[in-house]
Amino acid sequence: MLKIDHLTKQYGDKKAVDDLSLHIRPGEIYGFIGHNGAGKTTTLKSVAGILNYDSGTIMINGKDVKAEPIECKKITAYIPDNPDLYDYMTGIKYLNFIADIFGVVLDERKEKINKYADIFEIKKDLGQPIAAFSHGMKQKLAIIAAWLHSPKLIIMDEPFVGLDPKAAHILKEMMREVCDEGGAIFFSTHVLEVAEKLCDKVAIIKGGKLIRSGSMEEVKGDDSLEQVFLELEGEQC
Amino acid sequence: MLKVLLKKQLFEIFRSYFYDAKKNKARSKGAIVGYIVMFVAIMVGILGVMFTALANNLCGAFVPLGLDWMYFALLGLLAVFLGAFGSVFNTYSGLYLSKDNDLLLSMPIPVHTIMLSRLLGVYLMGLMYSATLSIPTVIVYMCKAKFSLGILVSSLLYVLLISVFVLTLSCILGWVVAKVSLKLKNKSFITVLISLLFIGGYYFFYFKAQSILSDFIANAVSYSEKIKGAAYPLYIFGKSGTGDVVSIIIVTAFVAMTFALTWFLLSKSFVKIATSSGSTEKKAYKESGIKVGSVASALFEKEMGRFTSSPNYMLNCGLGTLMLVICGFALFIMSGKIYPVMSEIFGTDTGIVAMIFCSAICIVSSMNNMAASSISLEGKSLWLSQTLPIKPWQVLRAKLSVQLILTGIPTLFCCICAGIALKYTAVEFILTVVMNLMFVSFMAVFDLFLGLKMPDLNWTNEITPIKQGASVMLSLLIGFVAALIPGGVYMMVGYGIGFTVFMLITLAVFAAVTFVLYRWLRKKGCEIFATL
Repeated sequence: MLKIDHLTKQYGDKKAVDDLSLHIRPGEIYGFIGHNGAGKTTTLKSVAGILNYDSGTIMINGKDVKAEPIECKKITAYIPDNPDLYDYMTGIKYLNFIADIFGVVLDERKEKINKYADIFEIKKDLGQPIAAFSHGMKQKLAIIAAWLHSPKLIIMDEPFVGLDPKAAHILKEMMREVCDEGGAIFFSTHVLEVAEKLCDKVAIIKGGKLIRSGSMEEVKGDDSLEQVFLELEGEQC
Repeated sequence: MLKVLLKKQLFEIFRSYFYDAKKNKARSKGAIVGYIVMFVAIMVGILGVMFTALANNLCGAFVPLGLDWMYFALLGLLAVFLGAFGSVFNTYSGLYLSKDNDLLLSMPIPVHTIMLSRLLGVYLMGLMYSATLSIPTVIVYMCKAKFSLGILVSSLLYVLLISVFVLTLSCILGWVVAKVSLKLKNKSFITVLISLLFIGGYYFFYFKAQSILSDFIANAVSYSEKIKGAAYPLYIFGKSGTGDVVSIIIVTAFVAMTFALTWFLLSKSFVKIATSSGSTEKKAYKESGIKVGSVASALFEKEMGRFTSSPNYMLNCGLGTLMLVICGFALFIMSGKIYPVMSEIFGTDTGIVAMIFCSAICIVSSMNNMAASSISLEGKSLWLSQTLPIKPWQVLRAKLSVQLILTGIPTLFCCICAGIALKYTAVEFILTVVMNLMFVSFMAVFDLFLGLKMPDLNWTNEITPIKQGASVMLSLLIGFVAALIPGGVYMMVGYGIGFTVFMLITLAVFAAVTFVLYRWLRKKGCEIFATL
């Protein structure tokens, strides 16, 4: 579903991502962990088509992100770490806008908007301008918008930040549901307990370099993910 | 603490002078000096010269009659009007809508310190507008009437007191706007309506100014008696400019008291207003709100929604739409007066009348420049346009469409009115309509070009890209100059080759430039947008 080969991205002289390679198969929830400034967001933004990377390739469902950006974006959804949405739109207008862009048919968009707005308990607020939404409500709206067109690959940067425990639980179920249907999820998090319980595979990045990746068992063995992460951080120091 | 906040506030106001948003780095010293020189040249070279001429005219008329006070009173009133008008909505957005209000309020900073730093920004804006008139007023007086140390001190006080009074007025009006907008349902449109009333008053006064001033000059003595009788405070205000100590003390006390009262009012309600999300009735969600549209219409509606959601955006970048309609109606209604005069001066077969009005309509249409700030206004939500499966051109086209529609339709209306009112020939009518619409197209692509070349995505207040952005300022200036070309060049040299040939050449030139800019947008512009 997502194949990253030798991805390198520099900001001036600093390599934010350095020769990173990852492979995410359909049905996998892939966690991406690392300290602040390790290169997680740069990697996710490169996959989402926001950043123009310097070298390497990113393939989504066999298509090159640089060569066929529109085709890649059609089957992808991205949720940034801070959901800066169009504040001047109402919630429902925003969802309609996203659905129009992805060409979601009327019945499907009605069904999905009603379903997800109900489970996230923001249906009554959809008529309000997004400017009046709290951070958590914006995050819920961004999640609903991301799920509207049934993407095959969902990229999320710290998706649980700002969500209440119930919403976080619902999101985890939704993520598993996507993967059960053959999709894939690539997300960054600092909550290692969540990553440990939720992810099929995990990658640890430091200073732009991938320092360990693989299935959860391969990466952590008998230890906790937190222990492994802290040990790796220590070793690298 | 205050010093830090003031520094931040000043940096925010003049940020574009020191920081290159496109390259994401500080400007070189040379560039900073260049920008400052350009700004000073505009303020001093255009507004300063214009108001110096006005002051010179009035000084010559009033001072020989011993009506020095009336000279200061009249020009002082104009300076107050100009300053308050120029900064009232900036006060509202600067004080109450700044995105870092929450952040600053959460810090251990006294509320009055935050307010003071914010007010400094408002003060500078008001000073910038009022001083373009008050400074020429005192300089002309000292040069033409009298000069002494006392006059110098009173002149400095005159400029200072006007600027503080402008700040007070701006704060009161900004506070009223903020209070009212908390209760309104259609905030944007009502704010625009109120603003338009201001603007209407301004233009009414502006167009009447010459006759009012001539009347004042001709009947200066009788007006001075009336003012002394019915508006004595105005007399005192004028006297303060002449160096009268008692008047200076009274005016200073008045300005200080009104400012203190305003400060008290603001400090009582600042936190409540700045942190309020509004108490308007909640709109219930209806499933019927879910509708299907095409990608193009979704993007167009998004851009149109952005435009209509912001009074600042509508007023600063879309006033031309309304002005074109008003001009059209005015031409139609006043055709009986305008046509005989114009045809007598320029004749009916020279094409000059059609060219003059063609340029005039171009000038009014150049007031619309929503595309120039539309890129910067994407701000932090730019990621959406970049991650959705749409080509950059589709986004740019939607931005162009908004400007083309909101300017093109009223331009066409105004052209039709002009054609009927001024009895154009068929050739004049067709060519001026095509020329005006070509100009609208040129301005749309040019504005978007500027927006892409000078983006500023990291703003904390939308007023920055809308009002203070380099792209908007350049658009207004270059648009004005470009609009003068058809009429100006024709009157100077073009009439020799005849209306039709000149118009066809002008059209060809504008079409060529428009095409080049369009091609640039399609290729380079899309690349820039994709990598912003």
